[in-house]
Amino acid sequence: MSDFTKPYRSTTQAGLLLVPTLVVLVAFLYYPAVETFRLSFFQTLLLGTGRQFVGIDNYVALATSAEYRQSLFVSVLFAAAVVVGTLVVSLFISYLLFEVRAGASGYLLAAIWPYALPTAVAATILLFMLHPTLGIVTHYLEALTGLTLDWFTSGPLAFGVLVAVAVWKQLGYNIIFLVAALNNVPETLTESARLDGVGRLRMLVRVYLPLISPTLTFLVVMNTIYAFFGAFPLVDLMTSGGPNNATNLLIFKLYRDAFSFNSLGLASAESTVLFGIVSLLMYVQLRFSDRHAHYGA
Amino acid sequence: MATNTDTATEPAPSRRLRTRFERAFGGDLLVHVALAGAIALVALPLVLAVVMSTQSTTEVYEVTNLGLGSAGLSNYETALTEYNLTRYMINSAVMSVVIVVGKVSLSLLAALALVYYRFPFERAVFTFILLTLLVPVPVRIVPLFQLMADLGWANSLLSITGPYIASATAVFLFRQHFMSIPESLVENARLDGVGPLSFLVRVLIPMSRGMIAGVSVITFIYAWNQYLWPLIVVSDQSKQVVQVGIKFLQGASQSGLTQWGLIMAGAVIALLPPLAVLVTLHRPLLETFAIQQK
Repeated sequence: MSDFTKPYRSTTQAGLLLVPTLVVLVAFLYYPAVETFRLSFFQTLLLGTGRQFVGIDNYVALATSAEYRQSLFVSVLFAAAVVVGTLVVSLFISYLLFEVRAGASGYLLAAIWPYALPTAVAATILLFMLHPTLGIVTHYLEALTGLTLDWFTSGPLAFGVLVAVAVWKQLGYNIIFLVAALNNVPETLTESARLDGVGRLRMLVRVYLPLISPTLTFLVVMNTIYAFFGAFPLVDLMTSGGPNNATNLLIFKLYRDAFSFNSLGLASAESTVLFGIVSLLMYVQLRFSDRHAHYGA
Repeated sequence: MATNTDTATEPAPSRRLRTRFERAFGGDLLVHVALAGAIALVALPLVLAVVMSTQSTTEVYEVTNLGLGSAGLSNYETALTEYNLTRYMINSAVMSVVIVVGKVSLSLLAALALVYYRFPFERAVFTFILLTLLVPVPVRIVPLFQLMADLGWANSLLSITGPYIASATAVFLFRQHFMSIPESLVENARLDGVGPLSFLVRVLIPMSRGMIAGVSVITFIYAWNQYLWPLIVVSDQSKQVVQVGIKFLQGASQSGLTQWGLIMAGAVIALLPPLAVLVTLHRPLLETFAIQQK
């Protein structure tokens, strides 16, 4: 790549071509991000009349707040459940898609459509289907199990419902990448095992999973980012953080602290914590994909 | 990595030792059945939503009523007219198209500079662009909101499109694609003395149709999905986008009963545009994703 002959040399022209992108990135991404960090050391005075420097008080307040710690705990648990749930279901469907010979392309579109499903639409549809009294799915589940599944009042059930919606929405994206990864595994690496008559499930676990591990890492990171940042509409439309803060994800708490309670300094500190989480995830992704790059086809 | 390559020399009569999964899903027929079942299960909530969007409110309250309802398409009509969904759909469409066109144009120009120009600090500029992946909206939401107010952009199309029209991902994808274009073509252009912009329009864009389509689909679906940012920055209901618009539908009730049929109709309407885009353009999308992951 470095030997690539570049036909144009004018630094001015290059600058002009880059300016629109750089202006938008600096004005709307870098500047507000830096400003967030600065604001996290201030406290908004009553009625937004001004602000006062408070050092690390906002971070101390977060670290000592039981509500924030619970929110962090719920978010991490939520991310773990969404990652595991999404990958298990997507792997099952993707492996079937990979194994099926006839009609594969028709099946593929029928399996990846949830990629186009907006989170707010997914939340609205499942809010009704799983509604404790009116939901058809809840109705039959209750008839089958004999339990009362009132997730409007049960924290753990509400948490489970949010995980289910998030998994549903994420299936399409995950299946797209998993099917591509499975199709990229060179047959020379798998045919001997196949000739040996190794069963399908063992093939998946012993042969394919290690070979597609870069894709799996990528998807773990993307699903975690979705769980931390993209799940806001689920909470806002389905549970409002309740019952008993069981679904009060960090992103929802941040939204309320900033825009309902006007605690801008505190909310900025929460944003900074989220920045730490994304940075960590991106770092994991980079390290892992570097080390395992040779696995890819 | 440890596959069973070491056993490759053995003859293969061990086929009798099939695992439970193999027995359960042994034949291709069973793969088809399992796959069709899984796909049906994933689609079930949507199918039920479509069915119930045709039901009147009293029919919806008969929980096990699974037939097409008597409301026909009237829920759709009511949602679109009385509940202003037409307005929200137009707002969403304008926002998404502006973001797609803006992002694709800006990113093509940036990638042109990064790949075909020699200039100081190339790597640093590229890294500077890529690092913005670390700051999704929630990380900068408070100052960004204040910035919109200071610029006088609150409640306007500018506020829901401006911050989204530059993108590290799109620049990265176009850069990757440009680098895969044969050097001989570039060399020809150089020898013919073709200027950079006509090189972009006459050579690069025609050779990047699939990639442009793929990035457009990703961007359109992403833009259409926006919820948190419009919810915060748009307070004038008539300027709101449809994802937030379906939240307004949730308040719809008739003599104390929530009009779930109407709400389902709204949800289906809000899903249709991205679904149509995906169905039409899934091929370039899949090819683009194949490059993104590299």
